[in-house]
Amino acid sequence: MKRLQIHTLTKDQKNNIILVMLVLLIFLLMTILSPRAFLRPANLKGMAVQFPEFGILSFGMMIAMISGGIDLSLVGIANLSSIVAAVVMLQMGDSVFSIVLGILAALLIGALCGVFNGFLIGYLKIPAMLVTLCGLQLYSGLGLAITKGPALTGLPEAYGEIANGSLIGEIPNTVLIFLVVAVAVAYLMRSTIYGSHVSFMGTNEVASKYSGINNLKVTMYTYIVSGLMGSIGGILISSHYNSAKSDYGKSYTLLTLLIVVLGGTDPSGGKGNVLGVSLAVIVLQMISSAFNILRVNSFVKTFVWGLILIGIMLISRIIDTREKQERRTQ
Amino acid sequence: MRTQITKSLTTNEAIVVYTIVALSLAIGFINPAFREFSTAITLSRAMLVTLIFAVLEMMVIVSGGIDVSFPAIACFSSYATLRLILAFDIDSVFFFYAVAGVMGIAFGLVNAFLIAKMELPALIATLGVSSVANGATLAFLGTKEYSNIPEGIDQLSKTFLFSYTNSNGITFQMTSLILIPLVLLILAYVVLRHTMLGRGIYAIGGDRFAARIAGFNVTRIQYIIYMTAGFLAAVGGVTYTILMRQGSPQNLMGSEMMVIAAVVVGGTRITGGHGTVFGTLSGVLLIAIVQNNLIMVGVPTHFQSFVVGLIIVLGTGITSIRAKRVANSSKV
Repeated sequence: MKRLQIHTLTKDQKNNIILVMLVLLIFLLMTILSPRAFLRPANLKGMAVQFPEFGILSFGMMIAMISGGIDLSLVGIANLSSIVAAVVMLQMGDSVFSIVLGILAALLIGALCGVFNGFLIGYLKIPAMLVTLCGLQLYSGLGLAITKGPALTGLPEAYGEIANGSLIGEIPNTVLIFLVVAVAVAYLMRSTIYGSHVSFMGTNEVASKYSGINNLKVTMYTYIVSGLMGSIGGILISSHYNSAKSDYGKSYTLLTLLIVVLGGTDPSGGKGNVLGVSLAVIVLQMISSAFNILRVNSFVKTFVWGLILIGIMLISRIIDTREKQERRTQ
Repeated sequence: MRTQITKSLTTNEAIVVYTIVALSLAIGFINPAFREFSTAITLSRAMLVTLIFAVLEMMVIVSGGIDVSFPAIACFSSYATLRLILAFDIDSVFFFYAVAGVMGIAFGLVNAFLIAKMELPALIATLGVSSVANGATLAFLGTKEYSNIPEGIDQLSKTFLFSYTNSNGITFQMTSLILIPLVLLILAYVVLRHTMLGRGIYAIGGDRFAARIAGFNVTRIQYIIYMTAGFLAAVGGVTYTILMRQGSPQNLMGSEMMVIAAVVVGGTRITGGHGTVFGTLSGVLLIAIVQNNLIMVGVPTHFQSFVVGLIIVLGTGITSIRAKRVANSSKV
């Protein structure tokens, strides 16, 4: 009877349960190992400011991956749009109007980069991996050309409040933004026609074309959305440092890929869920700050990220083939 | 015969060659310094290591995969071997190449296992291996840069094939290390064109199921490809260390982008099955000319990254439009 119940759970749900258990495990482990440092409000707050940055970028990566592609240019988009926002704000001076204008400019740049990616991928049929890898070079290069190297500083004080302040009680703004984005993406993927079209296209591009889905349109929308995610991530990053530069967050490309795969998204397209990705974001942020507290060399982190990525991929591959064999024997 | 000539004049490789010629003429016109023979020597020095990497990347991409782990493998194996050499006072070029090569093959074996045996996507597998190798280098081997390379090994960076003195009395010397990529290019040409293994690489890049049915051992070929790639990555890393006379744990990191770009601009199709050694050579040459001579024509340094990106996008765009046209044209 119990066996049957486990079998009725979908693969996504199983993955999410494992992730929740991981979160609890790490939390327990850290409260036992060094309760003072881990449960300190400063540490919790530090974690809350950091994870939305790459969390939102991960949603962009997730959508691209569900559509059967990949978006390696997210960090480039993030930096370029935050640089443009910074230029706008520096021109317009210190007022609420200039901040709003800066944010709008950032979102516009994100969408434009997405249009560019989507056009090359959907219309010219260049593989997404190549387009976005080039895109990373192109957008960071453009950012570098605008800033001429050093970071743009002297942004309005109020702009820094976006990431560092808290509107409602003690909850940092970044967490609120993350929640809003997560709900919006979940709605987009679960309850809109576009959402189901994306996963159809990711599962089988030819079949979706012959069932009347406009693949080009879906691809364009996908990369525009992921570009927007990139620019929101960029706004958070630049607001966190209160400056904009062309090489912030370089390590985020690998990290977002890791998060998305850990969160149960299928690298070959078609499947993925917001809850899983959000849980994976929290797991990785907790591991990261656990490393910091235990004073582990930060390069070990790179090493461990790689091991985790390969490990997760291997485990899910082994489970997949075993399930296939079971089905064959039944 | 005539159609054959027009065909060979409009291949991707030919277009790259036209671009190189046009670009060189333009740069030479703006800045006379480019027209000297010394440009060839500086260019070949700049291209040297990129060429080694491009050969391995071309081979991997032709087989339908991709390898972004080679800079990390190159850094790990050359840096680890250099530390061994310095610790035990081993002054031997052969030891340097052999030990680093074995380390490279070991990493290649991991890549091959993940991609050929476990059938993971090549990009994600090699990205993971890259992160592991880079993290391991920095965390366990250290971050110190070494410039005290032993005398005997260092000697290799001071051996020259020939030297050339220009009109201003500045002497340019052609390093003998250039022989490594040259030999590799010839080897790659022979293997890819004239051996069963080489044809197998093209076959699995075109369609791995068809290749299997045609009798190729797909898994074995993939193992050979990724292990060779690991070995060549290590060779590139060691060559770079000797050429620069300095061992650093991460100065090659980030070069994968440029190498993939050079390979793709040279007409290798990223989806696999197509690509030539000559095309790769011209792709590397084009990128090297752009990178090294933008300053000569007055493009500021901070624009370089963007211009290179633009050229890659144009290059891949043209290749893809042509591929799309071929796919859409009526089949006879």
